[in-house]
Parts: sequence; C-alpha cells; structure tokens
Amino acid sequence: MSHLLDRLNFLQSKDLEPFSNGHGQTTRESREWEETYRNRWRHDKVVRSTHGVNCTGSCSWKIYVKSGIVTWETQQTDYPRTRPDLPNHEPRGCARGASYSWYLYSANRVKNPLVRGRLMKVWRQMRETMTPIEAWTKLQNDPILRASYVETRGKGGFVRATWDEATEIVAAANAYTAKTYGPDRIFGFSPIPAMSMISYAAGSRYLSLMGGVCMSFYDWYCDLPPASPMTWGEQTDVPESADWYNAGYLLIWGSNVPQTRTPDAHFYTEARYRGTKSAVICPDYSEAAKFGDVWLNVKQGTDAALAMAFGHVILREFHLDRQAEYFEDYCRKYSDFPMLVKIEEKDGRMIPGRFLRADDLDGKLGQDNNPAWKTVAVDGVSGDLVAPNGSIGYRWGEDGAWNLEEKAAGADTDLRMSLILDEDHDDVLGVDFPYFGADATPAFATGDRRPNVLTKNVPVKRIETAEGTVAVATVFDLFCANYGLDRGLGGDWVAKDFDQDVPGTPAWAEKITGVSADKIVHVAREFAQTAEKTNGKSMIIIGAAMNHWYHMDMNYRGVINMLVMCGCVGQSGGGWAHYVGQEKLRPQTGWLPLAFALDWGRPPRHMNSTSAWYAHTDQWRYETLTAGEILSPTAPEGDWDISLIDYNIRAERMGWLPSAPQLRTNPLEVAKAAKAAGKEIAPYVAEQLTSGALEMSCEDPDAPENWPRNLFVWRSNLLGSSGKGHEYFLKHLLGTDHGVLGHDLGEEGRQLPKEAAWHDEGPRGKLDLLVTIDFRMSTTAVYSDIVLPTASWYEKNDLNTSDMHPFIHPLQAAVDPAYESKSDWEIFKAIAYKVQQVAPEILGRETDVVALPILHDTPGEIAQDQVRDWKKGECDLIPGKTAPNFIAVERDYTAIGDRFCALGPLMDKLGNGGKGISWKTGEEVQHLRELNGVWQDGPAEGCAKIVTDIDASEVVLMLAPETNGEVAVKAWEALSKATGRDHTHLARTKEDEKIRFRDIAAQPRKIISSPTWSGLESEKVCYNAGYTNVHELIPWRTLTGRQQLYQDHLWMLAFGEGFVSYRPPVDLKTVTEAVQDDGDTLVLNFITPHQKWGIHSTYTDNLLMLTLNRGGPVIWISENDARSAGIVDNDWVELYNVNGALTARAVVSQRMKDGTTFMYHAQEKIVNTPGSEKTGHRGGIHNSVTRAVPKPTHMIGGYAQQSYGFNYYGTVGANRDEFVVVRKMKTVDWLDREKSWVAPEQEAAK
Amino acid sequence: MDRTLKSLSLVLSYPTRALQRAMPEIGAVLASDSRLTAVARRALRPLVDDLTGGDIYALEERYVMLFDRSRTLSLNLFEHVHGESRDRGGAMVSLLETYRAGGFDPVTSELPDHLPVLLEFLSMRPGAEAQETLADAAHIFEAMEARLDRRESAYAAIFAALLQLSGATADRAAVAELLDRPEVDPDDLEALDEVWEESEVRFGPDPNAGCPVTRDMLARMDVPLNPAPQTPAAR
Repeated sequence: MSHLLDRLNFLQSKDLEPFSNGHGQTTRESREWEETYRNRWRHDKVVRSTHGVNCTGSCSWKIYVKSGIVTWETQQTDYPRTRPDLPNHEPRGCARGASYSWYLYSANRVKNPLVRGRLMKVWRQMRETMTPIEAWTKLQNDPILRASYVETRGKGGFVRATWDEATEIVAAANAYTAKTYGPDRIFGFSPIPAMSMISYAAGSRYLSLMGGVCMSFYDWYCDLPPASPMTWGEQTDVPESADWYNAGYLLIWGSNVPQTRTPDAHFYTEARYRGTKSAVICPDYSEAAKFGDVWLNVKQGTDAALAMAFGHVILREFHLDRQAEYFEDYCRKYSDFPMLVKIEEKDGRMIPGRFLRADDLDGKLGQDNNPAWKTVAVDGVSGDLVAPNGSIGYRWGEDGAWNLEEKAAGADTDLRMSLILDEDHDDVLGVDFPYFGADATPAFATGDRRPNVLTKNVPVKRIETAEGTVAVATVFDLFCANYGLDRGLGGDWVAKDFDQDVPGTPAWAEKITGVSADKIVHVAREFAQTAEKTNGKSMIIIGAAMNHWYHMDMNYRGVINMLVMCGCVGQSGGGWAHYVGQEKLRPQTGWLPLAFALDWGRPPRHMNSTSAWYAHTDQWRYETLTAGEILSPTAPEGDWDISLIDYNIRAERMGWLPSAPQLRTNPLEVAKAAKAAGKEIAPYVAEQLTSGALEMSCEDPDAPENWPRNLFVWRSNLLGSSGKGHEYFLKHLLGTDHGVLGHDLGEEGRQLPKEAAWHDEGPRGKLDLLVTIDFRMSTTAVYSDIVLPTASWYEKNDLNTSDMHPFIHPLQAAVDPAYESKSDWEIFKAIAYKVQQVAPEILGRETDVVALPILHDTPGEIAQDQVRDWKKGECDLIPGKTAPNFIAVERDYTAIGDRFCALGPLMDKLGNGGKGISWKTGEEVQHLRELNGVWQDGPAEGCAKIVTDIDASEVVLMLAPETNGEVAVKAWEALSKATGRDHTHLARTKEDEKIRFRDIAAQPRKIISSPTWSGLESEKVCYNAGYTNVHELIPWRTLTGRQQLYQDHLWMLAFGEGFVSYRPPVDLKTVTEAVQDDGDTLVLNFITPHQKWGIHSTYTDNLLMLTLNRGGPVIWISENDARSAGIVDNDWVELYNVNGALTARAVVSQRMKDGTTFMYHAQEKIVNTPGSEKTGHRGGIHNSVTRAVPKPTHMIGGYAQQSYGFNYYGTVGANRDEFVVVRKMKTVDWLDREKSWVAPEQEAAK
Repeated sequence: MDRTLKSLSLVLSYPTRALQRAMPEIGAVLASDSRLTAVARRALRPLVDDLTGGDIYALEERYVMLFDRSRTLSLNLFEHVHGESRDRGGAMVSLLETYRAGGFDPVTSELPDHLPVLLEFLSMRPGAEAQETLADAAHIFEAMEARLDRRESAYAAIFAALLQLSGATADRAAVAELLDRPEVDPDDLEALDEVWEESEVRFGPDPNAGCPVTRDMLARMDVPLNPAPQTPAAR
C-alpha cells in the first residue's frame, strides 16, 4: 500500500497546532496506514514461557497470543535486578529462540499419533477378536509379523491413530514385556531434566512405577567431566555467568562463549570493560578467539600438555622459588597436598600407591570408626602423624568432625605440605611415574623417544605401619615431581629452567601443542599473579572441546590443578566454569521423588547409558581399542588383559556400575522363587548368583532374554543427535538399513572378550517397540514404530533452571496444544491409566527385585577399600558391599495410573533428602494435600493429588529447599549435624519464602541457598561452586574431604592416572586399508563442536536458521587440506571410516587448523542430505562415523567419590579421537526417484 | 449448503471407514455439479473410486505421506502463503475472525487455515462470497494440482475442481513462484531435501531487484565456478 491517495504532496495545512512547547503537532491527514502496524503487533495476551531445549541459556520469553494463536515472541526483560556494580542479566535470548514459534505451525509438526501402517493394520485385525495383551503376544511370537514392521523402520509408512489406540499398543507392549522378560527390559531415554522438569518427570515417573529403566544422559553426551566427581565428589558445580564479571583473569579454554552461550556472552564483554584480562585457548580462530588479549592456538587433543606446562610455571614461581602465602594457606586447608601417600615397591621399583590411612598405623590414631577411610598427614605443630578432620571416614557413622577445620582428634593442626626440608624427610627415593608422551599416533607424534617410565627423586619419610616400615611422601612432593620440577634433589627428568625440554616444561609443551613456550610462561604468570593479588579471582571457562576426548580427565585435571594451586576454587570471580549441558536442576531434591516415584517405591532403576548403548547396540562387538594400549607401564600385577566390555561386566558384578537389564531371569519370577524358598530377597539372590543358578544379564548382552525390548524416547533426538555409533544403533538395536562398513571381532579374527558371551551372529532388531514423543518429525521419530505428538514449549506448563543464572522460571501453556498433541505429563498419564486397564490380565500386585549399585553420598560408598571380585572367589558375594544390593520393591500394575496421579505414602514415612543428608517432610506433604486436594477413595486414598502439570510443579517447588525456605533451613540443620558447625544462618532470612508456580509465572525468582549446592545466593556474592566448602568449611565429598588431586584407586593406578599427565589421543583404527578407497588420501581428525544455528538438532530443520548457515549439513576444513584433496568451498564431500559415512558441503576456511575437520553437531539427516557413494544409503549424521569407546577408570565404584550416581559417575561417550577419510563426491544422488506407491500387502505378495 | 464444497472438504480429510461408506453419495454430488466441466467431473472419478473401494490402511498411509509429511503439499494454506514468516500467526487470527463473523466457531484441532476447514466454512456461505475467497487461493490450487499431477496422484483432480469453482484464472506469476519451490517426495527420509536445497546462502543484494546494471553483474557473478550438481531426476 502506498497511501499515495491519502498523502498531501504539494500542500501543507495551515492549522497545524503545535503543543508541548513545539515538540508535538496536530495533523489532519489520514492515519489509516498505522493500522498495518497495529494489526501486525496486535495481541490479546502475553504469556511467559521459555524454550525447553538442551541449552544453558534458560531464557525467559514473552509469547504473544491473539485469539488462541501464537503470533510472535520477544525476550522478557523483567529479571530481578542484580546488586549495584553488577550488570543485569537481561535481555536473555538469541536468534534460535526467536525463531521458535515457527515450530508450532510448521509443516514438520507431528499432528496426530502415528503408528507404522503395517503394525496398525495387524493390530486392528487382531483386536477384533483378542485382548490387547493377547494381540501383542501373538504379534511378538510371529517372526514374520514382527519383522514386517521392524525392518521397515526409517522407511515411512505411518498412519494416524487415535490416542486410545496408540496408548493401548504401548501399554500392552509394556505389560507383556514386564510379564515375559521383566520390567527392566522397558527402557526410557530423555535428557537434561532442568530444561523442562515436569515433562522429564512424567516419563521417568511412569517408568519407575512400572519398574522400567531410566537412562542417564549427561555422561552419554560426554558433557559429564569425570574429573569433577574425582576431584570434588560433585557431578558438576559451576559459577553463574554473572560471576565472570567478578573475575580478574578469564581463561577461555575450548569454549566458544559468544557462539554457544549467546545470552550470557554480555558478561564476558562487560568484564573486559571492567579491565579483566582474557586469554583464549582453542585450535581454530573461533568467535571467542577475537575476545582474547592473547589467543593460544593449541593443537587439538593436546590440551593436557599445555595445562601441565602452565602448572609447571605456577609451581616454580609461586610455590617453590617463592611461596605465595595465599596459595600455600589455601592448598594446605583445601587440597589433598598435605596427605601422605605410601610409596609401594614393585620388582625393586618404587611407585606411588595408596593414601596412608589411620588403619595402617598401630593404634589407628585412636580412630575406631572407619579408620580405613581416614587419610593421614604430618602435623607441623606436634610433628606427629594425624588423621585430619573432614576425610570421608568422618562423614559416616559419627557426627561433628566432618569439616575442614584445621583440626585432628579435637586438637589444632598445621599440616605439612612438603617434606623437602632436611629435618622433615628420612630419605630421597627415585619414584616411578608413567610417561605416555612417546606413545602418540602419527597424527600427534613429535618424535618423542623418551621411555614410558620416568624415575624422579622425591623426599620421603619412613614410618612404622602394621605391615612394617614404609616410605611415605606428601601429595605435594609427588605432584611437583610429576610436573618435572627440579627441587635440588638431583636425578633425572626434572628441570630448573623453562627452556629445558623435560616433560612438564613449557619447552616440552611447545613441541606437542604448537604454542610457543614464551606465551605459555606469560599466560601462566598472569593467571597466577592475578589470583595471588585478588585471592583467587582467576577463572577458567571450559567447554566440550576439552571434555569429548577419550583422555578428557587429563585435560580437565590439568586445568583443575591450576585452579587449586592458585586458590581459585570457591572464590567469587574464580574457579572452574564448565558449561556443557543444562545440568543444574536447581530444585533437585524436590524433583527426585516426583520424577522417580520415590513416593511409592525405592529404589528406582537407573542405568548409565554409555555402557548400556555400548552393549545393546553391539558396539562392543567391533571394539579395537585394547586395554593394553591404555594400561600404565607401572600397573600393579593383575588380570588386565581383558576387553573394555569385560571391565564393564566386572564393574557391574562388583556393584560399581548399574545394570539394565539386571538378571537373565525375570525379576518378578526371582521374587516368587525366593518366596517359594522361604528366603529374603538379598541372601537368596546372593546364593543363586554364587552358585550360577542366576546370571547377570551383562554377561551375555546378545541373548534374546537380555535385550531391551521397549524403548521410549522423549524430549530427545537420540538417533539424530546424541547417538554415538549411529549406524550400529540402526543395525543391531533397530534392525533396519545401516551404513556400518567394518566387521566385528569374530569376522576380523581379533581377540574375543573373556567375560562377555560371544555369539557368531550379532542380533538385528532387538527392540520390539520404539516409541518417540516429539513435536517435530525428527530423525528418531522417523525410525520409530509409534510417534506421539507432544505439546510444544508454548503449549505446556513446566519448570526451567540453568547453571548460568540463579533463577527459576516456567514454561507455560500460552495456547492449547495444537492439532491432537498433548503435554508429556498428559501422555504418560494416559499410558499409565491404560496399563492399569490392560495389564491386570497378566499382572497384579508383584514383587520386583531391583539391583542397586553402591551409591555415592550414601553410607555404602565406603564399601570397597580393596578391589575384590566375588566371581573369581576373591571374596564372598555380600549384597551392597561386594556386589550390587538386591532390594524388593512392591509394584501394583492394577493401579499404575492412580499412583501416577498421587503423592504416595513414602514421603511421610521415609522423608526426603539428597547428597547424603535427609530430613522429615511430612509438613510439606500436608501442605500439598491442602494445595492440590486429596484423593477421597481408591488405591491412593488420602494422598495429595498430582493431576495436572501445575500440580506436579507445586510438588517440586514445595519439597525443594531451593524453593521452600522452611525446607532449606531443615536441610542446613541436617548438614550442620554432620559437620558440627551451624550453617542455618545461610537460609534463616528466607525461612518464610515459599515459591509457587504462580509466583514464577509473574517473574523469574532467585532460588534459596541450599546444601544441595556448594554455592550461595546472596546480596553479597554471585553463585560460585565450592563457595561453602571454602567459607563454611564443609568438606568436599571425597575420600580426603579435600579437593583431591591424587587418585589412589587400584584401577586409577593401573591405568596410570594417579596424577595428571599428557596422554595423546587413542588410536581407534577406524581408517583401515580395507575401508579406504584408492586415491582418497585426505585423513582428518573429526571434531564435532556446538553450532551457531541450532541447539543440538533443534532449530537445524528450521528454514530461518538454515538460511543463516548453508542450508544443510556442512563440514569445515582448512585451505591446505582442501587443496590437497581438490576440494573448493561449497563442494559436496563425503566423510567415511569403518563406522559409516556421511555427506555434507565443505566450508573451506582459514579459521581451521590443518589436520582437523569440524562438523557441528547435530545437523539432521532429514534435511538436504544426499546419498553416500560409500554405503549406497542416505548420508548419515555426524555420529555415523563415531563409535562409543568406554574407559575402565570411569567404571570404578564403591570407593568414596568414585561411586556410582545417576549422571554423576560412569562411562562417558567420548568421540573426538576419531579420524575420517574426506573426499570430494563424484556424483550427488538425492535418492529421491519416485517409487510408485505400493500397498503393504501387495508388496508382501511380491 | 453448497454440497459440492462440503464434499470436497470431506474428500480432502483423512480417510476413514465412515468416509468410505459415504463415498457413493459424495461421488454422486460431485458428478452432478454443473459448475464443473464434464472433464473435471470425469477426472474426479479415480479418486472417488479409490476412496470407495481402496484398502483403508493404504489410503491412510498415502494421505499421511502426501499431506502430513510433505511441506509443499500441506493443506494448511498459509504454509504456501507465509511459510515460516511471522505474518502467519496474524493471518490465522484474521481467518479465525472471518469464521466468527460468519457465525461459526471452529471446534477442530486443525488450524483455521486447514483447507477442509475453510471449504466447510465456505459451503455455508453465499455462493459469491465463497467464490471470491476461493479465487484468492487460486494460485495455490493450481500449484497443488500441478504437484499432485507430477506424482500422478488422483488428488490432483480436487484442486482442478476447486480452481473451476473459483471461477478465477490464477495469477501466472504467483503460480510460477509456488511451482518454483522445489518438490518434496512423500517418502520419509528420501524426501525432504529439495525444499531446503535452495536455501543455500548467496551473499550480496537480491539480483532480481534494484539497479539493472548491478543485477546483470551479480547474475554473471552468480554463475558458480563450481556448479552445484544437478539432481538426477530433473523436474
């Protein structure tokens, strides 16, 4: 519209009346044109919601609604103000979130429940004469019928179903599976509850009531840094982004803040205005690199060497040549530096062994309670050996001494960090340290020919123990030797000078990392100087780039060591800022009962996904990494020559890691047999396992009775995003077309596993039923048997928190769910009621036997002082001590729906708690009855209702200390009892504060400080991890109670990781002669960073975001590499190795370092992906060329902080050591020739 | 009620057994409407026969593949008009208000711009108004017809019929623009590509607009040194 007719071109009206001193003017012409804008921006309500995507942003948004239709969204700007002199949080949000409303009405939206046509047809025919259970039973027992839909996964053929039909199939399948194989064959995968807690809880609550398995995610995504539980006994705890502003020095290491932390990046900018200096460490010229005062372009995968060199400089200049007072004081109080380590003799060589314990000494230093778990140090005041307060032995079985006061046995102490002075040591011994730097594969080799054991001199004290005289050294003295520092004790492999090429020095690191030694020295000095002058305000922001390597622990421990040496952890503006995955579920202890149905039965079944997928997608059948390749040359005697899956099996057997399924026999049958035998569950199972009458499922993952049978995937795109070993998922778990190019161990004639049973033929199609719940047709949905349409993020009520800011805020139903979709809460509720309807035919009230590994933060965590395998006859099978515990849990399959919708009786009976403390919660339960209403009759009579998603939110908010001040005070009281110090002052002022759903709907609310987390929310400090450990003297939840830089578990020592060291990336052998075609010469390291135009796979199918990128999958390569393979920018290229192949366009860029290729994860294969010439199928996703490879040290359990916890400890899905062949594609085939449509029965007749 | 529009609304809905039972009656309505040419009426026969006698699962799978899974065949009209533009929400609101002004409240889970919903509404409106509204969408009908034709789908005839009922000749340019959008194959993974293929970024101003000199220059620059490979089944 031009409005030409309405406008005066040649004339101006005479009666223009100015007003407001000439600032305003009345005009008479038509203003109709303004209607265009009014209509464009009209709305009748604005609703607060957010994007429940796995992003740490957690940004509050305004959703504009007109007549029940979402018209657009904008960023919310009403976050509570921060305190003076600190920038505000808002506005939060990015381009991705701003494009979200597109999804609501997109053609990609799943509109109705969809069922694979062949399945639906058979089902309806059978249902005419059979019950749902009979129908599913018949379907599963007919191999042809089962194959008819299993083999067509991923190939289209959906029809619409009603909710009633779809949920009936699911319920029948679940009930049949529970009855036939056991409820632990029903798996569910959903990640990151923090992004939409109630939606997560809906599925996990249902699964837990059924006895199904909730699968972990943080470890599987490889976002879990196992170094964190090793060092701090904490999964991950980090400063909020506002605390970056308080930093004096910011080291950005393998993190791309402006690209992947968009809403928080402003704090980084603002900190620089404040004068904070910043160094950026990453191989490529990333968006973060341009923020740095200095950019260190380290060679990918060698970060640990750089960290060692930084540490070398810091030790030399701030701990040895000069002792910075603040650093000394901090390390003495808050690190394990003063603790004594036994130097153990092996074949005449001396090797650092276990921590000295009170138990080793005559008289046990007067400690009767857990002396084997109390570490020992030299006290400078008395000169005696003491067992300082705070070690884990004080945590369990006694109260009052589990704290970091400088005391032992009630007396003041001043612990010695070093025995370097002549009067303090009895001898100087040559101690062996493993060296892995010479083991690098060609891509990382530097010509290093050093031996793999380096003997260095260490001052030791000789002491009398129960087993005779032993030499002991402090962790600090060993630590300095490990970093290659010459302390005037003579001997080899130590340096006085930074220019000496000795492992640990900047000169040595320069050769490995490509970063010049002078820059290393410069950055290390500035980092430490800042920390010294500011009492710890040096911070390291660290990202996935560092954690996704097989030896990620070395990278991370190298970094953590720097922070501890400089006293940065637990100080405002300092510390370890690992932001990978929205892991912080702030109201966690309120959420756990709802999510895992702890109100009805305990314990739930949890599984670590990496181990589960490794076994059940048969990736272990292709394992080429042997234990020998990663074992330490200093390993103690032992049966170490076994496969990686064998290590996992042993770990499961010894109660270290969980199992799923658990026993080869249906656990419901096991309970019946125990009852028939007149025995308690645990002793019965122990006896049967010992005799071999019962077997653990893990020992034979390919036996049909040990397959996972039903899998739910919700809030996740498992197959299109996180599924490492994508093609193995397709081949073995799903049983459909796949692109695996390699052969299994049997076919290759390699060494077979010793513990895992080998079947010559790997099974295909283990799953009976794959159900995906999503709002869009993702890659996972395309491969599913049933797709259920869920409400989008503007169509449901839920809760959202993040580690990046301290607020809790909601998702809200701005509009009703579009089409036939329902919220996750309503979907699982419907399935639960459906089970209640169909299951009683075969299931009633049943006793289930749940196997529970030894858990961190429980008294059981100090179970295994020594490693003993009952199966090898090294000890008896004692449930919960030398093996998993076996616990009876009552289930009522006739009341699954009723229980789903009610807060069960166990909260009143057993109370609530978390992270090792517990409290009574009857009062809150009563408040919930009053708030949500009470069931008047039925199986949940007298229980509070949890009918709607808002009811469920209220349960979380009421029970959690973070959102209910009264509970916070109770929680701090419970902790005060253990530490003997009063911590309640941290929450007293908030005692009357109770945050409800409607409160956060009005405005994001800051959470209340609770002992679940180690930081505080106050008007004085930003949230920062470790703050209460340092300032309230609460021990870290580790063996020593301190930040533990030395790890003494047998397996840690066997694999050479007692101390940090540089370990080159491992050789995965995936580019073989057999797979590499003639003429394809370009082989690159395959790296999968987070991208700019999507959050994982979400938004990558959105045209707005695709347009900003290149409209489909791309990889990045350097100009030199591209030239060598005749590739120019925007060419189609193919990447392949034995794991599979993928296709993408090439972005040729100076940004890239030679030798690497980046493929941002996770670009959907449903969008613009042509066929692979190598496999003949559609090109895969980024995970088509990867395979999960677990690490034995991550399987350790029953050992203080190295004990299992869901998403806390366990194997992780590393994927950056991978190499691929890159070649230009000759022909691009879209595989889109028309196939004439053929009805299933006609095709079957062919 | 305009029983022809109502019939077309039904035939474009998800196939059910109830629909199959009603097909003889619907077929009769469609066969007897003199607003449609004999050719158009004949063209509708195969679809009517399919729906009457076909295997219901086959019909449903076909429907899901065509209309639920293929962007370019979406029955939500604004997918073709506004795509993922923010105007789409506002347009839906206007349409909703039109229904309300006409005396009807939508009680379906489908969005207001779902074609069967619109057709049902129009079947209850005066003929002239219905015709006018249909005429506004003529270019979409023509493009849908062309796309379905290329797939040799019997559903193409419906859109030919709608075009006739609208009495309009579609704007050639608008049709061409719609048809220019790459086609989608209904077959799941081997499907959704070409829609996206064009979204490859080209820097610089739009060569179709602005100064002709620049345009010609940009057009010359636009010929890639390394041409994007052609789709084998060039359409």
